[in-house]
Amino acid sequence: MPSEPNPASPNPETPFTLSIPQAALDALRQKLALTRFPDELDDAGWAYGAPLADVKRLAARWADGFDWRAAEAGINALPMYTRPIAVDGHGTLDVHYVHQRSTVAGAVPLLFVHGWPGHFLEVRKVLPLLMASPVDHSDGHVSFHVVALSLPGFGFSEAPKKPGFAGRQYAELFNKLMLSLGYEQYVYQGGDWGHVLGTHAVAHFGGKHIKAWLTNMPMFRPPSFLSNPLILFSSKLPYADSALRARAQDAMAQYRAKSFGYMAEQATQPQTIGYSLSDSPVGLLAWIYEKLVAWTDNYPWTDDEVLEWVSVYWFSRAGPTASARIYYEMTGGSGDLVSVLSTKRTSVPLGLSYFPREALQGPPSWASTTGRVVFTSTHTKGGHFAAHEQPEELVGDVRKMFGKGGPAYGVVPGKDGYDA
Amino acid sequence: MSEQPFTLAIPDADLEYLRKKLDVVRLPDELDGAGWQYGAPLAHIQRLLAHWKDGFDWRKAEAEINKLAMFTRDVDVEGFGTLNIHYLHQKSEVKNAIPLLFVHGWPGHFLEVRKLLPILTAKSPDHPSFHVVAVSLPGFAFSEGPKKPGFEGRQYAEVLNKVMLALGYNEYVYQGGDWGHLLGAHVAHQYGHKHVKAWHSNMPCYRAPKLLSNPFLTLEPYYSAAARQRISKSAKYRVTGSGYFLEQATKPQTIGYSLADSPVGLLAWIYEKLVAWTDEYPWTDDEVLEWISVYWFSRDGPAASVRIYHALTGGSTHDSFAGAARSTIPLGVSYFPKEIIQLPKSWTQLLGNVVFESEHDKGGHFAATEQPEALAGDLRKMYGKGGPAHGVVPGRNGYD
Repeated sequence: MPSEPNPASPNPETPFTLSIPQAALDALRQKLALTRFPDELDDAGWAYGAPLADVKRLAARWADGFDWRAAEAGINALPMYTRPIAVDGHGTLDVHYVHQRSTVAGAVPLLFVHGWPGHFLEVRKVLPLLMASPVDHSDGHVSFHVVALSLPGFGFSEAPKKPGFAGRQYAELFNKLMLSLGYEQYVYQGGDWGHVLGTHAVAHFGGKHIKAWLTNMPMFRPPSFLSNPLILFSSKLPYADSALRARAQDAMAQYRAKSFGYMAEQATQPQTIGYSLSDSPVGLLAWIYEKLVAWTDNYPWTDDEVLEWVSVYWFSRAGPTASARIYYEMTGGSGDLVSVLSTKRTSVPLGLSYFPREALQGPPSWASTTGRVVFTSTHTKGGHFAAHEQPEELVGDVRKMFGKGGPAYGVVPGKDGYDA
Repeated sequence: MSEQPFTLAIPDADLEYLRKKLDVVRLPDELDGAGWQYGAPLAHIQRLLAHWKDGFDWRKAEAEINKLAMFTRDVDVEGFGTLNIHYLHQKSEVKNAIPLLFVHGWPGHFLEVRKLLPILTAKSPDHPSFHVVAVSLPGFAFSEGPKKPGFEGRQYAEVLNKVMLALGYNEYVYQGGDWGHLLGAHVAHQYGHKHVKAWHSNMPCYRAPKLLSNPFLTLEPYYSAAARQRISKSAKYRVTGSGYFLEQATKPQTIGYSLADSPVGLLAWIYEKLVAWTDEYPWTDDEVLEWISVYWFSRDGPAASVRIYHALTGGSTHDSFAGAARSTIPLGVSYFPKEIIQLPKSWTQLLGNVVFESEHDKGGHFAATEQPEALAGDLRKMYGKGGPAHGVVPGRNGYD
């Protein structure tokens, strides 16, 4: 659907059709045919990383069986566009996004922001649910106009060319994108970098433009200096059920102990790991697949699902290396996780969705160092990729927060999400 | 199988296969003005890649390597069956030369001993001579690696000691840096006095002291600028240069796919350290490519080499010294200014029984490659007549 024309914003929008050149597909196949696999220790399982049998099976299917053109056609069923967005000091970046307008004229504009190793397709399952019933609105749910962009350097968005593209720049880009689509005021949903960048977006444009936001990775700065935040984490997570709390604590402990290497490398030497990610299909596959499994809650990935996911990285406009740089830019090359969050506190309404296998989550009280918590929800299943694993649950939270009677109902004046 | 002479002969098919892979390399872009900030610079990698394809002569390098006295032999490791271990064994003409075991680390390999050989084995009334053994650690270069989990400090030490014993060196001395240093602590603990009589490290780091057991050492950084300065030199490595360690210690298989499959990925992964960890060492492209090729053509592949990080740290749950109590055998240390981890010198005594210390004004992590004369000079001083470890190996004091 075409976007609402906005005379204030002359930036041209171009419909986007994904069409990876055949040469690129052939090159991938050629590389896969030349793959050299490592060996593996006996009975390694997942103890040392992605298991060899899995990677071999996936690689074999990627070379022969996985139908990229079919996946591409499916992706092209989404309403996608690109448009150039100027970012102060970084010239103009061509930004790729999904833009699905609801038939409900007063739908709430919502910006959905992915993370790493995620991408714009994480919006796919929540998209129809966020539209609400298009014909007769009989389900009575609040409806949204949804914008899901590819972050610069991810998917089919251009990447920054210079160092220094960090919180402020992402915030500026998001806001300009939404303004260019005619959404002067909007709400925001994100996890992973989508969460982190959400703190920056709200710091810069909260109140005036971003009216409320919901995060599914509720990680925030502790209220005061603590030598071991993990202690406080564990005691105050909002799970009513101790078994759920234990699952969450385990996810956090696992992450910190065993799952942090990718972060340390990408935050300090993204170019170095980038050569591997750019050159080796199985290298990229293993790097991402390990997280797709580790960070989800027993999600039943199909091979084709994984391969489509990794292919988006492999065929990304800027190449997979660009996607690693966000870690460096946001941590100043140090890998310090806490430093990535904005320090500014605003009174913008904030909602927290807790999923038990999300590795990065803190108590709701810590969220109040960043925003005004108006909504908290805990779930009994789901992990890091909530929109993909638990779309109904996540949208359920969105509906409770923004729907009639909800704590953020009507935050966007004139766009309460329902027909008049 | 007892000792067999080893001739390196990478099959033509392997060379051809590498060539095919180099022909289809897909390089990333790079941020403007990136320099070394984000990792190995694109221009360097492009240049090295071009040379690897069309210029670097592996067969020539191989022929040179084959001039070294190399062997393999089967070594039994309790619980792990037999590993076929590759090593270099260069005897001195001095009959009573001191048997010295040289142990490399990561991303190093046995060839790091190369420049030391002529110096250490030289005969002279003015300095001691050594019989030099340089082992390829299991899973590195042309040594077989373990196939099961649980191959830890104890097992690496067992392999190293058994090689020396098999060569007739019931008593010997040890030299190492990087994993060579960390494993030295294990070898010293397990075989100190009985077999290994003294050891030397060019990367003398250890656990930090604990306030209750060593109050003065613990507090030293608070009142000593020199101590603080040494610690601050380690910060760069700790903060920006240790991502590889954490990945290799937690997910060696994951990174292993890239290292096994991508020549340019392997090149960048190692080259970044060859430059970052040395003191402006003037690497030639051929030098770098020979170095990387040893990894690329290694017997078990490059992925095997990173498992040591997981094995020795329990998957990053403890430090590499776990299980290795301080040995009282004499310890010599050499401090090089660009070493990646530097701690207050007073802390070295926690590592071992320091009898020799030497500080240099040039050189970094790969001391044997960068400063072979300085390193060999330290060993000569340590073990020579009048030196603090002279005569530690009975009947083999280094002089005829």
